[in-house]
Amino acid sequence: MKINILFLLMSLAAGLTSAEQWRDNSAASKLYFAPSFEGLPINGEFRQFSVNISSDPNLQPESLIVLVQIASADLGSSDLNEAIQMVDWFDSQGFAEARFSSDQIVATDQDNQFVASGRLSLKAAEKTIEVPFSWQQSADGSIRMLGELKLDRGDFAIGSGEWSSGDQIGLAVKVWFDLNLVGTND
Amino acid sequence: MALKNFPEQWGWLSKLFHWLTALLIFVQISLGFYAESLRLSPLKIDVFVWHKSLGMLILLLVIARLLWRIKSSIPVALATSRLQQLLASGAHGLLYTLMLALPVSGWVTSSAANFPVKLFWLIPLPAIVGPDNDLKSLAAEVHEICVFIIIAVLLVHIGAAMRHHFVLRDSALKRMWF
Repeated sequence: MKINILFLLMSLAAGLTSAEQWRDNSAASKLYFAPSFEGLPINGEFRQFSVNISSDPNLQPESLIVLVQIASADLGSSDLNEAIQMVDWFDSQGFAEARFSSDQIVATDQDNQFVASGRLSLKAAEKTIEVPFSWQQSADGSIRMLGELKLDRGDFAIGSGEWSSGDQIGLAVKVWFDLNLVGTND
Repeated sequence: MALKNFPEQWGWLSKLFHWLTALLIFVQISLGFYAESLRLSPLKIDVFVWHKSLGMLILLLVIARLLWRIKSSIPVALATSRLQQLLASGAHGLLYTLMLALPVSGWVTSSAANFPVKLFWLIPLPAIVGPDNDLKSLAAEVHEICVFIIIAVLLVHIGAAMRHHFVLRDSALKRMWF
């Protein structure tokens, strides 16, 4: 029995070391978001974020952690960028970082398609969300990870008080990403 | 009332263009200053939607008005001197230029600020330029300078109309009236 446990621990340890760690190559990775005004999208992006993901030896993604620097939100103009950092909106002074960490990642029926479910903490709220994504290795060994989801800004009190109705500035915010991930174990 | 202009009388289309733009410009300038005075709020954004909607309407009207003016003859000038004639044409030319420059610079400001607009909450206005902070500041400054110039020229324009009507007692105001 002792040998079996030892064997189990050894194989676990072997499994851990062979799990791949991946990190975003920031120069080639984009995290976009688009709120809407009167139904028209305003396209923006977060300029600073980091993505850490681990996969099993068969390159199946296992866990995902995303950190986003909220003050790096860029909607393309200084007017909008100043407005969205205000207390009613992102309040980046009070909540500098958003964090998503997956509880589990499951493969879908389709090839290279996965869904990470986990907790997103953003501003003062934490909510369970699902992040669908595709994950594919390129010829150079890096991984291309693409995905898109919708968040309800009301869930996170982004646009509070007089802004909380979605009539003018919509409640649904599109978030999408195109990431280039490179292995970090070697 | 005749559609076309006559040597002694403006036709109704020219009159309509004149008084409609006059009314819209008055509302537009008021809306602009009112919107600027508000703190960032849903109300401010709504007032700006009105301002942008009317601005684009004025732009269309002014283009139509200019085409009509080029196409049709206009009543004879009532100037009493060559200098007065020059000043009158200069002021009118400046007004047309400003009536075009104001909506266009406003449109550039709005587009460069990456702010989408639905005119009258119905018609999406395409962006005339891409997001650009420097261009936005420049266009906003041009817009502001043009507002102060048009206010000054309008005061001269109204003053001249009053002078024609009450001092010179000619038909300048009457022939633009209904």
